[in-house]
Amino acid sequence: MLEASGLFKRFGALQATRGVSLKLETGARHAIIGPNGAGKTTLFNLLAGEVKPDAGQILLDGRDVTHASPDARARTGLGRSFQRNNLFETESVALNLALADIAHHGTGWHVWRRLSADRAARARAEDVAERVGLADALARPVASLSYGARRQLEVALALIGEPKVLLLDEPTAGMSPEETGRMLSLIDGLPTDLAVLIVEHDMDLVFSHATRITVLNYGEVLFEGSPDEVRASTLVQDTYLGGEAGAC
Amino acid sequence: MLTDPSFWLVQGLNSLQLAMLLFLLSVGLTVIFGLMNFVNLAHGSLYALGALIGYSIAEALGSVWWAYALAPVAVAAVGAVLYITLIERLRSAGPLPQVLVTFGLIFVLMDAQRYLWGTDALGVTGNVPFSGTIHIGVEPYPAYRLFIIAVGFAVFGGLYLLLNRTRLGAEVRAGVDDAETAAALGVNVERTFFLVFLLGCALAGLAGAVAMPAFSAEAGMGVGILVPTLVVVVIGGLGSLSGAFVGSLVIGATLTFGTALFPDFAGVAMYAALIAVLLFRPHGLLPARG
Amino acid sequence: MTFRHLLAAALLAVLLVWHSQSEYYGFELLAEVAVFAILAMSLDLLAGYGGMVSLGHAALFGLGAYLYSWLGGPMVGLTAPMAMLGATLGTGAVALAVGAVAVRVEGIFFIMITLGFGQMGYEFFFQNKALGGDDGLYGIRRLDLSSVGIDLSDPGSFALAVILCAVVVYLLLAWVLATPFGTVLKGLHANPNRLRALGLRVHAYRAAAFAFAGAVAGFAGSISAQHTQFIAPHLLNWTTSGEVLIMLILGGLGTLVGPAVGAVVLVLLRHELSSVTDYWGAVMGGFLILVVLSRQNGLVGLTERLLHRRRG
Repeated sequence: MLEASGLFKRFGALQATRGVSLKLETGARHAIIGPNGAGKTTLFNLLAGEVKPDAGQILLDGRDVTHASPDARARTGLGRSFQRNNLFETESVALNLALADIAHHGTGWHVWRRLSADRAARARAEDVAERVGLADALARPVASLSYGARRQLEVALALIGEPKVLLLDEPTAGMSPEETGRMLSLIDGLPTDLAVLIVEHDMDLVFSHATRITVLNYGEVLFEGSPDEVRASTLVQDTYLGGEAGAC
Repeated sequence: MLTDPSFWLVQGLNSLQLAMLLFLLSVGLTVIFGLMNFVNLAHGSLYALGALIGYSIAEALGSVWWAYALAPVAVAAVGAVLYITLIERLRSAGPLPQVLVTFGLIFVLMDAQRYLWGTDALGVTGNVPFSGTIHIGVEPYPAYRLFIIAVGFAVFGGLYLLLNRTRLGAEVRAGVDDAETAAALGVNVERTFFLVFLLGCALAGLAGAVAMPAFSAEAGMGVGILVPTLVVVVIGGLGSLSGAFVGSLVIGATLTFGTALFPDFAGVAMYAALIAVLLFRPHGLLPARG
Repeated sequence: MTFRHLLAAALLAVLLVWHSQSEYYGFELLAEVAVFAILAMSLDLLAGYGGMVSLGHAALFGLGAYLYSWLGGPMVGLTAPMAMLGATLGTGAVALAVGAVAVRVEGIFFIMITLGFGQMGYEFFFQNKALGGDDGLYGIRRLDLSSVGIDLSDPGSFALAVILCAVVVYLLLAWVLATPFGTVLKGLHANPNRLRALGLRVHAYRAAAFAFAGAVAGFAGSISAQHTQFIAPHLLNWTTSGEVLIMLILGGLGTLVGPAVGAVVLVLLRHELSSVTDYWGAVMGGFLILVVLSRQNGLVGLTERLLHRRRG
């Protein structure tokens, strides 16, 4: 579904990404972990199209999107959430979902009917709201939502475009335990044919939900394997997990 | 005409002279722009104020030299009042309120000028330095224009030293580069803004005072020069001293040679240059931020 | 929105009562008010809703006026309705081309690039001797509706016709704002990057909004040319755009009815003040500064807040 090979990216003196390759099959649950400054965010932005690689190639659903803009990637089937909530703050949940729906279906050119007249779009919005647990909040303004509910909406906006690949940037960052639990069941309930890539700090989440893990260090792939393989790897233990445990 | 070397020399000097006036105006605007992200559409009105105050000073004290010395101070004082009453409140307000308030200021300042000085074009009657002509080839050329050019170069040199050799200059450069980091490093950004704003106003006043003996002073004369000044600022790169200098040379030459050679297209050419720069080098020819 | 529609209806009622009490001078003012209401509402779609503050909007207004005069004059010789249509569509086409380029930059740079395009147009007509240069063009024809018994050379009928046009434009814009396109426009103002990440072609929508608002401005221009029967380059100057922005701020950005209210207030103020004092510019400028510093969203924003407070 999503295949990146030999990605390089340099910012000034900082070589943020060095030859990273990555492959997500249909239905994958793939996590990226690594210490701060390992290049997780840069890799995420390279895949989402916010920054362009100096070298390497990115294939999305078999198509070369290496130089495609973020919106072109989204139209090809890439959905993403943002690490910091990035919503239409002054509008209602329903309108946030409507905007995402319009962006995906290209219905923004419909000037012959009112927004409220598109029943199919409303049904899609209600469906996604139901799936992420926001069915009761449709009429509420985003500004009145709790932090956790906003993060759920963040994922819902990506989901309404029925992506083939979903990139989640620290979906549980800053959440309370209850909110984290709700987000985990949301992730559990994602369609099984959807390929999901998660950048995450929460190791419990990573090891319980990912089927494959890539460990980054200094912009390189340090190790890639199943959760058990990662746990068993002395290399990962030494450079990352051990240090993390020691720090906590 | 085109094969006559004195044509090129005279027009070259004319364009240099216009460029230096534009530079005096745009340098203040660009640093305010780059440092504070503040758009001051009333900057041209301060230029007119400098010319009018300069006129009154020259008439009262009998020498234009007093005008050169005092008009910048007077305009900076007006700038201080504007800063304290209006501009400080608009600092973080975004471009639209800034554009609108300073647009309103244009009208207020223009009418204040009309009230105080009337609507006639005012020319100094006393002694003006360099009022003779010199000969370029066979063409007589007003020496005063050469004086304007000299003032422009002197100000550029002075500002270059100020920016690169003094503590204030270092603070300004740090502020243009990244205001937040500069503040975190202990630079008093507010005070730096204020001083830079006053310096920009003083330079606009100086430009007016220096232009006045050659082009006379008139209420509202700042509106016409505002747009070319904005073009210079954008073309040079927001916040960039050398950008303002180069931008002024480009626009001075475009307007002067354009008017001489293609009178129908001179104005259009200037805006075409603006649009091209915005599209292909959105941060200007010599951007201040690396 | 419903409350704003009520305000719009009230404004219309005021204009109609004013019309019934007016003679020649009043009719002239009313027609001017209605032309600027159309222009201001079209800029509100772009700047108030879409967040694209243009200092080149008056240039499109002026272009519409020139296109109407050129298409309807001896040089081309179209009938007045065809010339109005041509002016509207032609301005829209120019705005689409300009918009396609201008929307690539944002914020203050968008203000500057629209200023650049607008002044380019201003210089073009200023220098163009065939179109009257800085003297402008006189003797522009009005639409002839005598076949249906309406004499548009009568100032009262003409003013009424322009008010009707403003009502139609209001309804059209209100409709567009309620469609998915209008929703996208508001979303682009609030968070363009998020819409891009969701797959929206941001530039295309922005350019389309610029073209649509430009076409409406061109339509207003074609009416203005018929109203004064005289056009000059100053119509295109950036200071005219600035005045229209003042109307938006006075009435309330992004409220649609607000800019129409702002047009009424500004045109009236200008005429009343200029008959009392030579320094009406200073009064108007000072008023504008106070409105911006008050941080209220114009008269409509203020009204809504006061009503809200009383209710709440």
